[in-house]
Amino acid sequence: MSSRIYLDYCATTPIHASVREQILRALDTSFGNPSSMHWAGADSKQMIKQARVDVADGIRCLPDELTFTSGATEADNLALFGTLRRFPANNAHFITSSIEHHAILHAAKQLEHDGYSVTYLPVNEYGLVNPEDVRRAIRPETKLISIMYVNNEVGSIQPIAEIGRIAREYKILFHTDAVQAIGLFDVNVDQLNVDLLSLSAHKIYGPKGIGALYIRSGLELIPMIVGGPQEHSLRAGTENVPGIAGLGASMNVVRQGRADERVRLGGLRKYLVDGLQAISPAVIVNGLDEKVAPHVLSVSFIGVDAEMLLIRLNGEGIAVSLGSACNSKSIEPSHVLTAMKLPREQIESTLRISLGMPTTRDELNTLLGVITRVLPRVLVQ
Amino acid sequence: MTNYRVCVIGGWCGNRLYMVAEHISELLEKAGYPCNVKSHSVWENYTQPPAANLVLQLLPAFTEAETGCPVIMIRPLLVDLDHPATIEKVLKQVQADYIA
Repeated sequence: MSSRIYLDYCATTPIHASVREQILRALDTSFGNPSSMHWAGADSKQMIKQARVDVADGIRCLPDELTFTSGATEADNLALFGTLRRFPANNAHFITSSIEHHAILHAAKQLEHDGYSVTYLPVNEYGLVNPEDVRRAIRPETKLISIMYVNNEVGSIQPIAEIGRIAREYKILFHTDAVQAIGLFDVNVDQLNVDLLSLSAHKIYGPKGIGALYIRSGLELIPMIVGGPQEHSLRAGTENVPGIAGLGASMNVVRQGRADERVRLGGLRKYLVDGLQAISPAVIVNGLDEKVAPHVLSVSFIGVDAEMLLIRLNGEGIAVSLGSACNSKSIEPSHVLTAMKLPREQIESTLRISLGMPTTRDELNTLLGVITRVLPRVLVQ
Repeated sequence: MTNYRVCVIGGWCGNRLYMVAEHISELLEKAGYPCNVKSHSVWENYTQPPAANLVLQLLPAFTEAETGCPVIMIRPLLVDLDHPATIEKVLKQVQADYIA
């Protein structure tokens, strides 16, 4: 195997050197329980306080509006359950989209099971939610809307500010899962009109196991984990100090150069798309170029078995991701590509290639070379 | 002729691979052609084709030149375990080899 190339940054990112340093500093110096009243506790408390300020700066909110969680999945769950369980199930309606992460969709299914009413909005062929569909779905008892900022499979950028405006108009709470957005977009919770926002460290060169939920001041949520006053009594349990420190540091890493990195990755993405389309006319790029995040490329190789292509690429040291997953009974096509109403043949031939800070043009040239070589070997006969 | 070796080749989805292999084994036995059916995941090894008399592939992993035996694509079984045209193709091949 030649040198390894990682092109699956939507799945997770490597730890940035400065984040690693900050985590080590926290491990070495901030071992105290932040709830303790002595100097050791105070050190840890200070570490958390600084991280809270850093994360808040990254999404333009107040530090106290952040609740640290074990990741975006918990943040999404807290946003949904914490908001909706304040209301009787038979008088609460929730609106979301059919292309959300399973952290939202599975929570929504649980809410339905509990008697809540849920509307799953469709998307167009580019994976975009129409804000007018949101407006049409609103009922007198609608309590919460949750639409992701950037889709993790095709990269479609949703009209969050516009949907937020509609939610405001009807005085409905609005949540967004911004996991794939915070690394590259200037997230400002006021301009986006969001009341709740989920984020995760490991998508922005931070550690796994830590994330946060932004909760607009004045909102009251029902906690999912009880047993202590930590995180404004919303998330009991001794804080993950090194993780929180890592999240703060990772936000500092991405916040500095979002605009430049957007342009750089946009250029690399275009270079890759041009290269792939030169290899084969049967290459289809999913999503709308003007409304897609620059680090995500969902691409279908019509007539190709995507899994075998992925295996071949992996064999050459190149890591990308598949558009489908298997369950015990069959290969399950991606719910996102299915919601976009792509033909099954196209879905089954889809790979997700995602770019990150370490990605270079040389890496993409290697990828293009390997694809050119192996493509004839992975055709579905 | 239970030493007739059939290898079912699949990918990441191990459950499905085992289900297909088991189903093929039962089907061949019922048809009067007991065979030694094994499964092989190309996630674990795709450079070395398995030694077999017949290779059944859920994905395009190996060519006949590489395996040295007939290779049949059985991808439709991912959706329908009893996909008639695919099962017929497999049975025909095994039958022909048995007669030979």
